[in-house]
Amino acid sequence: MDSFIQLLHGFETALSLGNILYCLIGVSVGMLVGVMPGLGPTTGTAILIPLTIGMEPVSAIIMLAGIYYGSMYGGTITSVMINTPGEAASVITCLDGHPLAKQGRAGVALGVAAIGSFIGGTVAIIGLAFIGPSLAEWALKFGPPEFFALMTFGLIMVIGLMGQSLIKGLLAAFIGLTLSLVGMDPVSGAVRFTMGVPELMSGFDLVTIAMGLFGLSEILLGMENLSNSEKPAKVKGLLPRREEWKPTMKSISRGTGIGFITGLIPGTNSVIPALLSYSVEKKLAKDPSRFGKGAIEGVAGPETANNSYSGAALIPLLTLGIPSSPTIAIILGAFIMHGLTPGPTMFQDNPDFVWGIIASMFIGNLILLFMNLPLAGVWAKVALIPSKLLYPIILIISVLGAYSVNNSLWNVGVMMFFGIFGYLLKKLDIPMAPIVLTFVLGKLMETSLLQSIKMFEGNLLLFFNRPISGILLVISLLILLASIYAEIKNKKSHFASDVEM
Amino acid sequence: MSKQNAGVWVGLIILVFSSVIFIQAMNLDYFSKFGPGPGLFPIWLSGILLVLSILYIRLSIKKSIYYFSDIIPMGRSFGNILSVVLALIVFMVLVNFTGFIIASTVLLFTLFSREYKWYWGLGIAIFTSIILFIIFKVFFEIPLPVSVFGW
Repeated sequence: MDSFIQLLHGFETALSLGNILYCLIGVSVGMLVGVMPGLGPTTGTAILIPLTIGMEPVSAIIMLAGIYYGSMYGGTITSVMINTPGEAASVITCLDGHPLAKQGRAGVALGVAAIGSFIGGTVAIIGLAFIGPSLAEWALKFGPPEFFALMTFGLIMVIGLMGQSLIKGLLAAFIGLTLSLVGMDPVSGAVRFTMGVPELMSGFDLVTIAMGLFGLSEILLGMENLSNSEKPAKVKGLLPRREEWKPTMKSISRGTGIGFITGLIPGTNSVIPALLSYSVEKKLAKDPSRFGKGAIEGVAGPETANNSYSGAALIPLLTLGIPSSPTIAIILGAFIMHGLTPGPTMFQDNPDFVWGIIASMFIGNLILLFMNLPLAGVWAKVALIPSKLLYPIILIISVLGAYSVNNSLWNVGVMMFFGIFGYLLKKLDIPMAPIVLTFVLGKLMETSLLQSIKMFEGNLLLFFNRPISGILLVISLLILLASIYAEIKNKKSHFASDVEM
Repeated sequence: MSKQNAGVWVGLIILVFSSVIFIQAMNLDYFSKFGPGPGLFPIWLSGILLVLSILYIRLSIKKSIYYFSDIIPMGRSFGNILSVVLALIVFMVLVNFTGFIIASTVLLFTLFSREYKWYWGLGIAIFTSIILFIIFKVFFEIPLPVSVFGW
């Protein structure tokens, strides 16, 4: 009941004219980056964070969160219409969405995806509203050892679940951690590894690194091949046939559950629930041979799952301060940039802020439903903007974004360096998600580890004396050992080499 | 260069980077009288990164082999990549002297002129630069570098 009243207060904040406008801008930009192949939520949020510097924190996060969940809707459109996933989570939608479009049922695929996304997204936000506060209250009991163990668990999950090779995943994670050491030590105040460069006194900037690794590297890859997309199919009739409603709704409800549960686990990504949902639907189907040829459940389940995931993935961020994916890590960067620290105390210290954002997500999902059902055809045309025009414009916007972080060219240079580095890493199949995640968590991990060591007077075994930190570290160790075993036996099945670009 | 193993080179760069951090971390306090010092975490992290970079070099030689010729595109595609990097460098050199609009026009024209007729490329470059200047300077109040003319 308390949550419900708080949520109503949140609507007061979210329904102000300015915040509705920012929500609308956020979800529209999200749709745009989702629709454009090569651009995804991570790139979109990284490039646009600097624009939020002058905004009120609540408006800034409303806009950035809108980009995040909006892109999940947008990615579907190009998957269905031109068989090109706009973002990684929609890869699976191509399998049945595009065959449906070829049968002249593009509208039905998009309609089902939009309805599923709306239901999945909304249920996840309701979950966030009701589970979030209790989880945050529980997390208030966490001390430095629990936080350290939780962050270790998240990182091991990222490394263990993704990437073709454990060595490459670990290498990426430790690059991110080591880069986070540059600048002032959070505990003693000592200045480290600045190589005499005054700009490095405060360390590298997360936004600049993310813009390089995810934005510029994508531009470089895109510039390699400036081909144009195929013409999209016409959109007619948005609703499934009467006999298709029942299986569709069942797929949507299963997708909602799968997405929500996956979102709660730190270190997962939006591809995992989509893939899980697709395989569950195929297994449960009376005639699995329809899958890949235009099965409506193959669109409804995964599309619902990735939207439900994106709402649920905000729960670990808002309650524990732990990002679960690169996009969420960048949103965490935006929190910090606006002087806010997400974590267990946030629901108590900044209730207007948290509930304002949660309420805005209901509004955003509703806007997206309207944007997608009648306007899907219009959005598909956006994908036809020639890449030879698009990429240079995104490049100059990235340059402006990097410049405006500190109003200096230093960050433009840093972005260029990490852009070239990211381009090389992508070519070498080294995942970049662990770099950004570990970079954002590095200082927090160091602080919690040093505080724990001090608490335990140097005896690290005492981590295992505390139930939560002990269990999390044991699970992390087991996942690491399983990954090593899979690597040695060459059995590693990876969900995606890099996601949410 | 094209037949060089790209993974080995990237591994070597990471090896040098981790070694530099490791050596510098050795000069920081590992433990002080107040507890763990600023050197503790960096020594472990850079040490592990150092080992991982060696393992990665080994992986690049034995299993995951990528030559530069396999990963770097040739011909026009390579020209496109190079032009992005060069345009960025030229932008950084120019912007403090010429102001944002001219430097941005040069950057965009460098890229557009490869795909559009020069007058179209120049036109789109100038138009985009002016629009972005107005958006960032006026709406977002970001103090962009300007020329003596104020733009």
